[in-house]
Amino acid sequence: MKRYYLFLTLIPLSIFVMTLSAAENLTSKDYHRAQWDPIHFQPDIATATNKQCLSCHQEVLEQKVETKSPAGVEAASTLAWYQTLTTYEGPQKTFHQRHLSSDLAKQVMDMKCTTCHQGSNPREEAIIPPDQNLDQFTLRKSVNPETCLMCHGDFPDFKRMGLTSHWNTSRDIFQNNCLLCHAGVRTTRHQVNFLKAEAIESAGKKDSDICFGCHGGRQWYRIAYPYPRHAWDGMAKEIPDWAKDRPTESHPRFKLQTEKVSKK
Amino acid sequence: MSTKKDVKKIREAVKRTKRETYTPVKPDMQMGFVHNNVDCIGCRACEIACKDKNGLAPGPRFRRVQYIEGGTYPDVFAYKVNMSCNHCAEPACLPTCPTGAIFKRKKDGIVDIDSTLCIGCRRCEAACPYGAPQYDPSDNIVKKCNMCVDEIDAGRKPYCVMACMMRVLDIGPIEKIWDGSLETIAYGGKDMISRQVKNMANIELTKPSIGFVAHSKGKIK
Repeated sequence: MKRYYLFLTLIPLSIFVMTLSAAENLTSKDYHRAQWDPIHFQPDIATATNKQCLSCHQEVLEQKVETKSPAGVEAASTLAWYQTLTTYEGPQKTFHQRHLSSDLAKQVMDMKCTTCHQGSNPREEAIIPPDQNLDQFTLRKSVNPETCLMCHGDFPDFKRMGLTSHWNTSRDIFQNNCLLCHAGVRTTRHQVNFLKAEAIESAGKKDSDICFGCHGGRQWYRIAYPYPRHAWDGMAKEIPDWAKDRPTESHPRFKLQTEKVSKK
Repeated sequence: MSTKKDVKKIREAVKRTKRETYTPVKPDMQMGFVHNNVDCIGCRACEIACKDKNGLAPGPRFRRVQYIEGGTYPDVFAYKVNMSCNHCAEPACLPTCPTGAIFKRKKDGIVDIDSTLCIGCRRCEAACPYGAPQYDPSDNIVKKCNMCVDEIDAGRKPYCVMACMMRVLDIGPIEKIWDGSLETIAYGGKDMISRQVKNMANIELTKPSIGFVAHSKGKIK
């Protein structure tokens, strides 16, 4: 008889446990399903909007840096090497915020999530198989460092530009003014869909750290990005040796929708 | 402790250091990893040993065994590329750190992070072309592989190397790895060591200290 009662008690208990685990499965399945959502893969990610991305990843804009490190270093009292430019202001923020929501980002950039992120494979965080020839993906997360290199590379070859040394040490000779020469040289610039070309021009006139910031001042890597050489008014017809292999157009992914090119 | 007298001096110093630039540390000898992409079976024992040593929860992975599979039948292939921190000659993570938590040892070129100085801005994570710095959401700070520097100082090898059952992972002076003169069983006498494999970020960005025995499908032509 006792066994019978024990059996009766076990039935609702097991139903309760089964319901619980089913609910847990459903939640975890949702998360995993979301990871494999087509929006994380080509071709859907190419047309994804910030709104779509941020509907799940809102935390990238909300996450705060610690006010103090575990050892007590105050965030407000510290600066990274490249934050010593005049353009770096305000409290420490995460890199997502610096690229999307900081004052400088709003002033001169028009970056979208997809400017950097071209997909995310939850399996190994690199989209390689089945087509191994997809060279835009690298063996790391989902961002190709070549994209970062455009604004986080080294200062270009200073000798080619006719400078005596790196801008770090020669800026005073040129009154810390890039436009002293670049008012007439390579004047068709920043015609890409993630930058505000006109805003950069006017900000660059006021402060050359705006220019230098992306051309060596905010350097992560030790090489310079080989920018495409868009033709400008007054450009010499003969292409110099160093520029012979340079593209003359931006990567199709970064090209402006309307082919408007400023004739400055 | 600054006094009122120092204020002027401090302000001048701040102005002076406002435009700082970074010169990479040139180590006396650079240590690096070598991984045999072909013989690695992808058991991830190295990953687990690393997690064990560093007390990592699921999520952050200092060492990442990446499975590369592809092809069309009958020409199919599979190999593994195993990377942690590559202790680069010119690390991109280092100059991005606002608190100076990341440093490169002069003695052996190991790039280490003092996570107790980290404020969790995750710049280093973005800058690294190889995905080495790992964000730990439980502490809201970034941590990374330091080649088990304590083990090295004690004359032993890192946990990942010791855990590798196929013995395809090893460490040594990177120049010796690259020219194939390192005494190791991670590669054989006829194996060629490459500094880069297919789909790996451009090594000129940071000059990573790593060598691979590349798979025939992973070689860069």
